[in-house]
Amino acid sequence: MIIPIRCFSCGKVIADLYERYVQLISTPHNDEGDLTPDGEAMDQLGLNRYCCRRMVLTHVDLIEKLLRYNPAEREIVKLGQRQ
Amino acid sequence: MPSWAPLTDDQLAEQRRGLSDEQLQQRRIVNINSETVTDVSGTDIPGHYGPGQDDTWDLNRFAQNLKIDYHQNKPNDAAFSLIGVDASIANAFRRIMLAEIPTLAIEDVFIFDNTSIIQDEVLAHRLGLIPLTGGKAGLDQLGWFKKPPPKDDYAAQAVYDQDDLPASASTPNDHNTIVVTLHVDCRWATIDEDGRDGKQLAKDGETDPAVRYVNSNIYAHQLVFEPQGDQTKWFDGEDAIKPVNPDILIAKLRPGQRINLRCHCIKGLGMDHAKFSPVATASYRLLPLIDITAPIVGIEAKKFQRCFPRGVIALEKDAGSGETKAVVADPMKDTVSRECLRHDEFKGKVKLGRIRDHFIFSVESSGQFDSDELFLESVRLLKKKAEKFKRHLTELEEGR
Repeated sequence: MIIPIRCFSCGKVIADLYERYVQLISTPHNDEGDLTPDGEAMDQLGLNRYCCRRMVLTHVDLIEKLLRYNPAEREIVKLGQRQ
Repeated sequence: MPSWAPLTDDQLAEQRRGLSDEQLQQRRIVNINSETVTDVSGTDIPGHYGPGQDDTWDLNRFAQNLKIDYHQNKPNDAAFSLIGVDASIANAFRRIMLAEIPTLAIEDVFIFDNTSIIQDEVLAHRLGLIPLTGGKAGLDQLGWFKKPPPKDDYAAQAVYDQDDLPASASTPNDHNTIVVTLHVDCRWATIDEDGRDGKQLAKDGETDPAVRYVNSNIYAHQLVFEPQGDQTKWFDGEDAIKPVNPDILIAKLRPGQRINLRCHCIKGLGMDHAKFSPVATASYRLLPLIDITAPIVGIEAKKFQRCFPRGVIALEKDAGSGETKAVVADPMKDTVSRECLRHDEFKGKVKLGRIRDHFIFSVESSGQFDSDELFLESVRLLKKKAEKFKRHLTELEEGR
C-alpha cells in the first residue's frame, strides 16, 4: 500500500528513496525532455542488489487511491459543483 | 624477542618441514570443476597430514599469515579481504555483525489517536523499522530493558525468570528506555498560516498534495525525542536521538486526519528482531582463482575473455610469438560462472578454484555505526564470548 520502510530481504532502508525515485523517473533530465530510465535512477539512489531494486521498481503506491476516500476531499468537490 | 614478532625466514622454513610454496598454496585451494567441487574442507587440523610433519596451531604462524586489506571503506559500505582464517571464524564475524551487535529501535508504541488510513499495528511496525542513532557514549551506557512475557506464555515466563537481569529492568526508566513522540495534524493550507489557500488552489486544479495540504506526508524527522531524567546529559545537542534517515516516509494523511503517539525505544539484538540488526547485509565470498595452465592465444583468447565478467581477463601481446594471449587481470571480479569449462577448446588449459582462507567481506551498515567499526565490534564480541567460554570451562574443571 505505502512504500515499505525496509527491503524485505536485506533490510536496507528504502522508504526515503521512493519519492526521490519517482521524482527521478518522472522529470526530464535534459533539454530534449528525456526521462531517466528506471535502472539508471535506481543506480543513482544506490540500490545495487536486486532485492532492493524490486522493492521500488515493483511498488504500487495504492495509498494514493485510498487517500481519496476522505470526507474533506468530498467537501471541496461539492463546493466546486455549487459554483 | 616478543612472542608476536614475525618469524625469520629460517624459523618459517623449520615450520614448513620441507614443504614447497607450491604445496602449501595447493592446500589453500578449493577446486571447481565443470560438474563438481572438490577439496572443500580445510586441512589445517593438527594431524591431518600424518605424524611426519608439525602442523600444530601456532600463534606466530597465524600472525604471519593473517592479513586484512580494505578495498573500499565508506561509512555505509565497506569491502575488505580477511586472509588466513578458518571459515568458522569468518562466519562467526558475519553472524555476530548480523545478529549480536546492540542497536536502538522503537519497541513499544502507545497510540493516543490515529485517524489515518494506516492501521495502528501497521504504523507501529513501520515505526519499529526506523533505524535510530544518537550519542555513542550515551547508547553504550544505556541498560537493557527486560520485556515481561505475555501471562499465558509459560515457556517465555520460564526464560524470563532465569534471566540474570534485575527485576527493575522490567520497568521503563531513564536508564533503559528512550521516549520519542509523534504528533501530526493534517489540514488544508490557509492564507493566514501558510500564505496559500489550499482549497482555492484545489478548485483551480492544483493536484499536488504538498501544496494543497499541510503535513500530508509524515517523515521520520518529525519524530520528537523527549529526554527523560538524566538523558539530557547523555543525548544533548548533536547527540540527540534521531532517525538515521530523516526522509523516511512513515504515513500519508489527508485534512482532518491525525496521528498522536508515544514510542518507547529500547536497546536490542538482531537475533531478537531484524530491526535491531546494524547491517543491511554482511556477507563474504571466497577469492576466485583462475589458473591458465597452457597459453590461450589468438581468437580463442578473445572467446576466453568473453567467458568471464568484464575486467577479469586481459589480452596481452606475447613477447615471443607476437600473438595476443589471455592473462588473468583481476580474479576478484569473477563470479565463478564456470562458463569457460563448457567449451572444448579450453579443455586442459584452465583450472578454476577458490582460495579457501581468503574471505572477501562486504559489510553495508544501516547507518547507526560505520561499517569498519562494525567489523571491529564483531571481533571484540567474539573475543568476549571466547573468554566467557573459557571461564565456564575452568569452572567446570573446578567442579563449581
